[in-house]
Amino acid sequence: MTTTTTTPLPRDEKAAPMAMTTPRPARRRLRKDLVRSRIAAWSAVLVIGALGMLPVYWLLVTALSTPGQAFQFPPKLIPTEITFSNFSALAENDQLFTYLVNSMIVATITAVLSVVVATYMGYSFSKFRYRGRRSLMHLVLASQMFPQALLLVTLYTVFSSFGLLNTYTALVLSFTTFTMPLCVWMLKGIFDTIPDALLEAASIDGASRWRTLHSIVAPLAAPGMIAAGLFAFVRGWNDFIFALTLADKEKQTLPPGLVSTYIGEFQTAWPELMAASLVVSVPVVVAFMFLQRYLVGGMTAGSVKS
Amino acid sequence: MTTSGISRRSALRMFGIGALGVAGAGTLAACAPSGGSSSSNGGDTKAKDFAFTSWSLNEEAAKPAVEKIIAAWEKAEKSKIRTVSYPYNEYLSQLTLKLGGGETTGAVQLDIAWLGAVAQMGKLADLSAAAKKGGYTDVGVKSGVYDGVQYGLPWTTGSIGLIANSKLLEKAGITEHPKTTEEFEAALRELKGLGGGVVPYAAATKVAQLKDIFPWMQTFGCTLLDGDKVTIGDDASVDAVTWYKKLHDAKLIAADVDRFDARALFGQGKAAFYDDAIIGKGATAAQSKDKTLADAMQPVTRPVLTSGDTPRALLWGHVIAVAKGEGQEAATEFALHATSDRATTVEYFETLALPPATTQGLADPKVKDDAFTTAWTEQITKTATGSPFWQFAQNAQIEEAVAKQVQAVLVGGAKPKDAMKQAGKEVADLIKR
Repeated sequence: MTTTTTTPLPRDEKAAPMAMTTPRPARRRLRKDLVRSRIAAWSAVLVIGALGMLPVYWLLVTALSTPGQAFQFPPKLIPTEITFSNFSALAENDQLFTYLVNSMIVATITAVLSVVVATYMGYSFSKFRYRGRRSLMHLVLASQMFPQALLLVTLYTVFSSFGLLNTYTALVLSFTTFTMPLCVWMLKGIFDTIPDALLEAASIDGASRWRTLHSIVAPLAAPGMIAAGLFAFVRGWNDFIFALTLADKEKQTLPPGLVSTYIGEFQTAWPELMAASLVVSVPVVVAFMFLQRYLVGGMTAGSVKS
Repeated sequence: MTTSGISRRSALRMFGIGALGVAGAGTLAACAPSGGSSSSNGGDTKAKDFAFTSWSLNEEAAKPAVEKIIAAWEKAEKSKIRTVSYPYNEYLSQLTLKLGGGETTGAVQLDIAWLGAVAQMGKLADLSAAAKKGGYTDVGVKSGVYDGVQYGLPWTTGSIGLIANSKLLEKAGITEHPKTTEEFEAALRELKGLGGGVVPYAAATKVAQLKDIFPWMQTFGCTLLDGDKVTIGDDASVDAVTWYKKLHDAKLIAADVDRFDARALFGQGKAAFYDDAIIGKGATAAQSKDKTLADAMQPVTRPVLTSGDTPRALLWGHVIAVAKGEGQEAATEFALHATSDRATTVEYFETLALPPATTQGLADPKVKDDAFTTAWTEQITKTATGSPFWQFAQNAQIEEAVAKQVQAVLVGGAKPKDAMKQAGKEVADLIKR
């Protein structure tokens, strides 16, 4: 950024040629332009931010509304009366707690499993050269090309034949099917940025390949691993259709659980649904707040190489 | 450093791998249990224990009533019923997958609109013998029939019809329900004159619910389907949509309204007529601040084009079907009991306002004394018919195809004749699939 400095002119030089006095209006114009561009930028940020936050605001407003208010037509952006009864009603529903626990278990195991497997796969793709490496990499990517609905039917029949339906295993395996490819490619990108010289140095110092990965490479790739884990966790937390199809009520996670509880044939209990959605999204929001720098860093880590 | 560019060789390799993946998936699917191709889901048909799949077991209002029926059966028969439930909106897809996969057995609750699609899988038992013992109404029996076979026992039979707010009608000086479309339009104009943001008829104008146009098309003389021939696009369907557009342009019906919006408007006293199932009364009254609204709600026979025509309404209801295989016999007995035992069906009505499908049940004083239900049954359900498109698994896509064209007309994006011609073509294409 450049700055302009000007020396004040003496009084008797007021009658100086025009060219000598131009810096003041130019500066003013510059300042005006700066203010205008700032206003434009802030307006854009505010508008886009408002658009992004409006659904969250609406979720909050509905959660604090009575059924009568929630169904008011046309809807009102600012509620005239507020109730917390939708939140207190959540405590009376034991089944919601079961769904929450199931979500925590399934999403956590999915995240851990995805990161562990993707670490080894990504490291192998990045640092070793062997026959079929590229084909395997593309095979991993190809699994993302199938529509989920197609895989759902296939996975359902496979899990059914192995007696895995209505188990956490079925949910974790199916979620991992979707999280793995991106995790592998994310981590491969991160391993690519770690110089081979570092690995060679470790080898010269007598470290085995196993030791090199666990003691040298893994700590360096930790932010990327956290990012991959967070991605897998959120993916497992949010899945609806696999959790609904592959698990029964005892093993179902929050998304199908909330739909089952609040959306019916004739009525949708929007205020209660919104209150429940707000409460159950807290763990993910908190996790994201603490780990978001890793997520952003991990996502972009492999994009630029030195 | 490795390069990330994809060469022709790599692309071919990816294609090969993709093909291999598809083949692998197919192989895995082929290795799966053969339940999908068998007509029975296996197991002992005489087993006393069986499963009951029902979306009502998910619903706050219905769950206790259904659980009570199950508990009473378990106690009386000393057997165990395993309950399974899915949300209503996902029910058909989940049931189709699991019935085909052999996981679903026993009794199965079905919306009558889904019976055709499920029966085509060949997994449902013929319940003709049981139906003869039930004492069901004619319209009830028909709601469980697909392709001449009784696959479902009617649990509740009603219809989707017009509901009026008598307070608003009175305010507008309308003393009698309109009998013809002409009278109906005149009544709507009177109601419009009330001002205060009143929507005279909160008709569906959003794609999600625009299937409500079908009874109006039938009112104007369109059969929708004549044998194998789709008749949407004929003069009658064009007339119906032109009339609907006229109501829309005159602001007698409002833009962007679905069932939920209609209930909200009606609940706030801002709509004089709207379409709903018989059970909608409870839902609408519950969300209204006006506690006297329920008393002001009246079922209205759908106006006809010419005096003497048969009023049209869409049949609506639930049936209980039974999957062939494990626990089939006990499940059939349970279905018969739940749908026809007088005390059970009357109690079910008292809890949920779902009218019984038996003549005895309807004649019970507890049901007969409910003026709204009795009037609805006699004025609307009596002449209600199922949609001819229910027999197709693509029913949802058919309804959506027509709805999109009708909406295009309403927003001025297409002319009724062109839109209905296009809708008819799309429906015909969907049926051929």
